[in-house]
Amino acid sequence: MLKYISKRVIYAFVMLFVLSIVVYLIFGLVPIDPAQLSCGTHCNPVVVEANRHRLGLDIPLWHQWWNFIMGLFQGRTYGEGAAIIHCPAPAFGYSFPNNACVSEVMAGAFPFTFTLAVGAFILWMAVGISFGILAARKKGTYIDRLSTAFVLIGSSLPIFILGLLIYITAFLLHMIDPIVQGTWVSPLTDPIGFFKNFIFAWITLALAYAAIYTRLTRSNVIETSSEDYIRTARAKGVSERDVLYRHNLRTALAPLITNAGLDFGGLLGGAIITERVFQLPGLGYMSIKAVLRDYDLPLIMGTTLLAAAFFIFFNLIVDIAYAYLDPRVRIN
Amino acid sequence: MAEIKAGGSRNKVIAIVAAIVVIAAGAFVVSSKAGNKSGTIYYITNAQQLNHLDPQRVYTGEDIAFLNTYLYRTLVSYNPVAGKDSSKLVPDLATDIGTATDGGKTWSWTLKSGIKWSDGTDLTCEDVKYGISRIFATDVILDGPTYALQLLDIPADAKGVSAYAGPYKKTGQDLYDKAVTCAGNTITMHLKKAVGDFNYFGSYPAVAPVKASADNGDKYDLKPMGTGPYMIASFKAGDKLDLVRNKYWDKKTDAIRPAYPNEVILRFGISEDVRDQMFLKDTQPNAVNYDQGLQAPNNNNKVFHTDAKYKGRGINVLGPFVRYWTANVSKGHLDCLDVRKAVFFAINLQSIIDLNGGSELYGAPADSPISPSIATDYAPTTGNIHDSNWKIGGNPDYAKTLLATAKGSCPAAYAKATSSGIYFDLAKTATGEKTAALIKSAMEAAGMVAKFNLIEPGVYYPTVMNPAKQGDITRAGWAADWANASTVIPPLFIKDGGFNLNQNWDDPVYKDFAAKVSAAQGETDRAKQAAEWKVLAQIAMDQYWTIMPIFTKQQFEWGSKIAGVDFWMPNGALLYPSMHLK
Repeated sequence: MLKYISKRVIYAFVMLFVLSIVVYLIFGLVPIDPAQLSCGTHCNPVVVEANRHRLGLDIPLWHQWWNFIMGLFQGRTYGEGAAIIHCPAPAFGYSFPNNACVSEVMAGAFPFTFTLAVGAFILWMAVGISFGILAARKKGTYIDRLSTAFVLIGSSLPIFILGLLIYITAFLLHMIDPIVQGTWVSPLTDPIGFFKNFIFAWITLALAYAAIYTRLTRSNVIETSSEDYIRTARAKGVSERDVLYRHNLRTALAPLITNAGLDFGGLLGGAIITERVFQLPGLGYMSIKAVLRDYDLPLIMGTTLLAAAFFIFFNLIVDIAYAYLDPRVRIN
Repeated sequence: MAEIKAGGSRNKVIAIVAAIVVIAAGAFVVSSKAGNKSGTIYYITNAQQLNHLDPQRVYTGEDIAFLNTYLYRTLVSYNPVAGKDSSKLVPDLATDIGTATDGGKTWSWTLKSGIKWSDGTDLTCEDVKYGISRIFATDVILDGPTYALQLLDIPADAKGVSAYAGPYKKTGQDLYDKAVTCAGNTITMHLKKAVGDFNYFGSYPAVAPVKASADNGDKYDLKPMGTGPYMIASFKAGDKLDLVRNKYWDKKTDAIRPAYPNEVILRFGISEDVRDQMFLKDTQPNAVNYDQGLQAPNNNNKVFHTDAKYKGRGINVLGPFVRYWTANVSKGHLDCLDVRKAVFFAINLQSIIDLNGGSELYGAPADSPISPSIATDYAPTTGNIHDSNWKIGGNPDYAKTLLATAKGSCPAAYAKATSSGIYFDLAKTATGEKTAALIKSAMEAAGMVAKFNLIEPGVYYPTVMNPAKQGDITRAGWAADWANASTVIPPLFIKDGGFNLNQNWDDPVYKDFAAKVSAAQGETDRAKQAAEWKVLAQIAMDQYWTIMPIFTKQQFEWGSKIAGVDFWMPNGALLYPSMHLK
């Protein structure tokens, strides 16, 4: 098992390394000049060149990439004199539109994204698995048909429409106050304020995922229940509850681990639409602003790498969990 | 496949509990209508942040009016009243509105005594001098007005780059120290040439003081220190700017700011749909819309500003902005007057006005780059929209006759217009794309080919201000920096003006035009100067450097508990100093 884990960890680091090259190359080759963008509206070629030097873009691309990688471990310094900027490690670059190091911007946004992802994850797993089990056990009844309707609505309604509908309705019913919505409230000092800030975003995000997980759970449970060992268990007189919890679910829910891990990992990179609709200044919100409004390449690159790192990390967790649950994986 | 028999009630309970959690979560916050904090005015905006907070980098009228009211103080200010008198200067940090000597080449202001920074230290003349010096650090202090760069008596090289590189690099510091001097509490600025109205620049945050020890370059944009009645308690992009009282501000030194509210909160990132509902339903009575107008496409703006039930909670006024299309007249672009005229007469301006909310809310066809809001300098021009051939819905037949003339007078431009295509620069937005369709249709009707550079809004101006990337006709807008066309004609039409998208310096009429501009800038007799601006506006219009201008209207909205609201014309913004809670 240890050998398997070591191998997967090394793969993950190699993947991150390659990813950093690819992402840097993509952003280095796009026809957008960060020196021009950070030049303001009254630009001239002299200022553009000064900016290029200040940003460390007047050296070959491979050298820029190397400085970027070293900056992740050592931090980086831009500019000179009183206007010097130091970004401590891990330095992803400097975001001029935010007047802050990219790592600072991401650190400020991450609590929103993390809270949104965790809350929505708990909600969708609870609702999705419960509804899925119930629908499987009541297959063909009105409960099953209701779950089918839930799945259809949840998976076909675009999240921006669902989110906007929930937000506007909640707002008109005075359940959301736009003035305070999206302002960070610590769950330790004001748990109610914290809850109010996120509940509708959790519901919006969870509804879409819960629908998918209901369908997945239902089909897996039904499929597993036709396995020989389930029939054998029943024939041996094991109670239905034990058949379900001890034999059926253990097999049926294993594939969900892959989905859940990757979905959660993906969400940690930012739930762009939900964050935007609910004014939550998380990573997704920051990314879309960086793309559409500011062309803030360092921030886009930072959030891209962070999202990819989360994805790779949770992929690793899923692999390890799978190996733990199914010995065939680690043997192969 | 065997159906699983119903085993226990536990599964049902799990499902029901999950459902209840979802429903109860909503019910939990039913009674959570936000309480209004007494004495707090909220400003609501869809934007993620203000363009800048750093005084030397602020350059939009709305932000200037807001920040000059609450956070900074400047040497002088616009009179905080509505109507014509608002264009008059009144002293702010200075004891008077400025003294010109040497025929307008030297300007001095003496600071009032007893003014303190929000950290309790005394304001000094050196702080004002240091603030202005930051404008020269053009690699750090971006986006602000460039008048100091152009006018202070500091040499520049052939490319227009100043010999002084600002206080961070200190290159050429001695030159700056000669151009701007402090003697006691008096600051003196020496200019390259006489500028009769330079004291208006003193109303800009660009000349607001900055304490050298507090300056941290780019990051000063996050939390600048001020001398105004409020100070920044917190700022986070996408969240809010929270201003609380500055206990060191002394009302006795400030005749401009009544400073009514206890707290001012500018709330960022409110979606346009939610923002519109906030004002339509008056859910936050102590809120003001910072975005100027509600959404036009879904009619919210029209409803709010025409339905009697919203009366008293909004204004719809003619603003100082002129929206226009500028013709790039450099070689290979629209370097042919007949083609420029053909475009002007071909466009269906009515359709563009309608697309943006109609004449009632968007504005009316203009006949000058100078807005009528600068009453002294504006006069109706002749020709252009007053030409008998001009029709607001477009006159493709007349455009064709102009093109026929162009075929002989400038065949290259003719070929471009009718074959390879005229490139229009537009922001890549839903409105921009619809505008492109309207232009394409009007141009086709006149036998011309329109092509489009749809540019991402975030990089629109950096793109079109790059001569290598600019198309043939560029969408832009401008408002006078102060009530003098000296802040309109030179910036828009002179080579180093700062916002010249015409690239007109090779145009045959440019040399004579530029000489007239220079003479007008140096004219200290305001009446004579106004007459000269009117002549220059006529030349610009006759050359069709500006196409399809619109004198624009502006809308503002606020909640039912807000009082004292009016329009502050010089800034094209609300009269922030007088606003208070009922």
